[in-house]
Amino acid sequence: MSGNIKQPKQRSYSAQIFSEVGRQWTARFGFSWIAIIATIAVFAPFLANSHPLLLSEQGLLDSPALRHMSAGDFILLLIYFAVVVLFFVPIPFAKKIWTLLAVSVLGSFISNAIIEPPKVVIYEQYRESAERYDWTLMAPIPYSPKDYLRDYGDTGLESPLSDQERTHLFGTDENGADVLSRMVYASRVALGIGLVATGIALIIGVVIGGLMGYFSGIADIIGMRLVEVFEAIPVIFLLLTFVAFFGRDLYVMMVIIGLTGWTGYARFVRAEFLRLRQQEFVQSAIACGLPLRSVLFRHMLPNGMAPVLVTVSFSVASAILAEATLSFLGLGPVDEPSWGQMLNQAVQAATFNWWMAIFPGGAIFLTMFTYMLIGEAMRDAFDPYLKKGAN
Amino acid sequence: MTTLLHVDNLSTHLQSAGKTVKAVDGVSFEINKGETFCLVGESGSGKSVTALSVIQLLPQDISSHPNGIIHFDYRHDSGEIEKVNMLDLADHRKRGIRGSRIAMIFQEPMTSLNPVFTIGDQIIEALQLHNPSLSYAAAKQKAIDALNQVQIPKAEERIDEFPHRLSGGQRQRVMIAMAMACEPDLLIADEPTTALDVTVQAEILRLMKELQARKGTSILFITHDFGVVSQMGHRLAVMKLGKIVESGDVKRVMNNPQHDYTKQLLAALPENLSRTRPKQKIDIDENTKPLVDLKGLEVYFPIKKGIFRHTVDHVRAVDGIDLKIPKGQILALVGESGCGKSTLGRAILRLIEPTAGSVSFDGRDITGLSRHDLRPLRSQMQIVFQDPMSSLNPRLTIADTLTEPMKVHGIGESKEHRLELARGVMERVQLDPDYVWRYPHEFSGGQRQRIGIARSLALKPSFIVCDEVTSALDVSVQAEILQILLELRAEHDLTLLFITHNIGVVEYIADEMAVMYNGKIVERGLTDQVCNKPQNEYTQKLLAAVPRVQFE
Repeated sequence: MSGNIKQPKQRSYSAQIFSEVGRQWTARFGFSWIAIIATIAVFAPFLANSHPLLLSEQGLLDSPALRHMSAGDFILLLIYFAVVVLFFVPIPFAKKIWTLLAVSVLGSFISNAIIEPPKVVIYEQYRESAERYDWTLMAPIPYSPKDYLRDYGDTGLESPLSDQERTHLFGTDENGADVLSRMVYASRVALGIGLVATGIALIIGVVIGGLMGYFSGIADIIGMRLVEVFEAIPVIFLLLTFVAFFGRDLYVMMVIIGLTGWTGYARFVRAEFLRLRQQEFVQSAIACGLPLRSVLFRHMLPNGMAPVLVTVSFSVASAILAEATLSFLGLGPVDEPSWGQMLNQAVQAATFNWWMAIFPGGAIFLTMFTYMLIGEAMRDAFDPYLKKGAN
Repeated sequence: MTTLLHVDNLSTHLQSAGKTVKAVDGVSFEINKGETFCLVGESGSGKSVTALSVIQLLPQDISSHPNGIIHFDYRHDSGEIEKVNMLDLADHRKRGIRGSRIAMIFQEPMTSLNPVFTIGDQIIEALQLHNPSLSYAAAKQKAIDALNQVQIPKAEERIDEFPHRLSGGQRQRVMIAMAMACEPDLLIADEPTTALDVTVQAEILRLMKELQARKGTSILFITHDFGVVSQMGHRLAVMKLGKIVESGDVKRVMNNPQHDYTKQLLAALPENLSRTRPKQKIDIDENTKPLVDLKGLEVYFPIKKGIFRHTVDHVRAVDGIDLKIPKGQILALVGESGCGKSTLGRAILRLIEPTAGSVSFDGRDITGLSRHDLRPLRSQMQIVFQDPMSSLNPRLTIADTLTEPMKVHGIGESKEHRLELARGVMERVQLDPDYVWRYPHEFSGGQRQRIGIARSLALKPSFIVCDEVTSALDVSVQAEILQILLELRAEHDLTLLFITHNIGVVEYIADEMAVMYNGKIVERGLTDQVCNKPQNEYTQKLLAAVPRVQFE
């Protein structure tokens, strides 16, 4: 009897917004750049590594690169492939998110339990004893980010392609490490800090803002005071203090940027919820006796997310900038590569090391720029007035 | 009689998103000096675009006039009359005509005045713009005269008020004063009273008639309300899909319509709908148990002031209402905006918490119930809202909207079964069951309102609050919705609280009516009794203000 039930072919509101965003070339450029950066970040061990990807020692195949991969590398790869697969699987968006979360959590437990990379890493062994192997397959950039080329002895700041024996496309830094290799790995920091810090801020902001807007009254008053308190905190100063007391930990930085950055979202979501609460479809959801969870998250939140999403992409950019600023000031992670920290080296020596300024600086600029472009494109897509003007 | 405006074969095309919409498609009409010409049609028929074409206010980048002539008798300041074609005129000459010779009043008084200037400034600016020689003092005097003419009390003092201090009716008067200040020959009124209450509407219409009689202004009156047409108009044209289908003398067209569409429109008026059902007599004696019983219900909104936000006073939206609604009855709750009728409707469902008093539903007091205890009762009492645009969640398909409440209340065994039920309800409100896969933005206003009714029906309620369900709809759609509601009432023994301001609708649908004023019910009785022999003074005033369609 229900044989003629057709599958939904109408496009939802969010699908329209996405295609609207996708139609703008600025947004397409932005998304492709971020996809490229993400791919580079995930495949970093295969792009830049002092360990050969594959080698043959007396007929026995071995992959030192794989052996030296950390649990983190594996998790990133797992998530990347999960995202790509889920993108093509036709299931509801919410289910995709839950599957992805489950895969990430399970994956990280398993990888942390199983994978144990060698504690002592000797980068130069494959260069020094190259004659022992039948053949070796090196990564496109045959230098690890923390490989300071101690076996050469003459390392230091060198401009691109100035060395006769070795090829450093983007030059080397003050410790003699390959800049391109460090930049490849640093993209992980840049993307990670943007997404994690913004994610933390988003969750806190949406929950607090939503409660303020829905319950209003006393909850609203307390919430707004909390927002004002957090807005009064100087973020960079707080970061400096934390770095001074608890050491240079990237995760601490992400958490602090996230914990102080939620106020904007809370304000947006509160305002939207105050408006939506009076909307008739919300009133009828309540009149139908739907549980509070459904009223809040199914009927109100998706309709109030538009301004929040626009802000997300702008604040990812500002989180990246905050990390770059700290690293530039020399307060970022010590040994981990970071674009800001490399930028710092451009002016450290007596001379101006242009390659240390242009490449990391360019990467920071482009990444922030693309997030801004995406933000602009989303705002245009959500804003009916601007849309009319474009016609 | 001399012709003031002659529109011949006018076409207006609007470009939107790469598509060309023929908004006005070969329209011809004439307006004589001193007459009121009414343009009637349902929403989207092109009547507003016609008016905006006449005054040349359409954005030039998206509109074009492939053909047509708009001849207007332009009276120069010297008194000399020149016949101009508004379509060929240079921009600066159009500006000269706009405001001084052709003025316009818009529908929404809340947004048509600039909130940052006083009303006096806005009228004086218009005056001085068209009369550069006029001094400020003289212009101010003229502005005060204009405000006096539209009967704004204490015009000398109120001229320095900002628009937000005036009520909707007063703002519309200011708009009329501004439009009439330059003594235009043609006044275009685009649904000038649609947003106003009937008593205010009656005053505004009377005012416009007076001014017209005194100044001999011609009026192009755009409306969808045949009651207003029969009060105001001399001649009338009925528009459908950008074309005028019938035009002529108001009395002739209303009493002897020639075109099928005009006949349809007139037949859809609540006054003309045939009541097929026998009038149900429901005895209200003390013994029959009412389905809904309100005792001393009060909803107060606190007015808070000062740093500590202490309550200084209350807005008494619902002020001590006792009301019994017997099972199976349609009770109409009538009143003007701000009288608290919507608040009452929502308070019965506890969408707004009552301040005092009690609501009993089916003999059970629900005022004290917690959210959780109330939830099972929610399926019994439903609400349908006024605005079809905002009453459906834009992010959910109709299937989701209909089946989610069913799932919560345990109606239907499986997802498929619930979907089948949802398709059934859609069919019941005369919509294609396959529409359940669509999103709200793909429906027209009338269709959405049906979906709103379908949603409330899905839970098989015994009581539905209909909060101005037909106010935003065209008459023909309104007639369909009302018929559906009557059929549903007969099928499911529904009890309806029908909140409205439209007396015609009340007469058609309601068994009993209650008139509400300032949070109190001033009169209640059988519909016919109240409508024909109103006892209360306010009810009398309200009923007298309703523009009646005058058939002979």
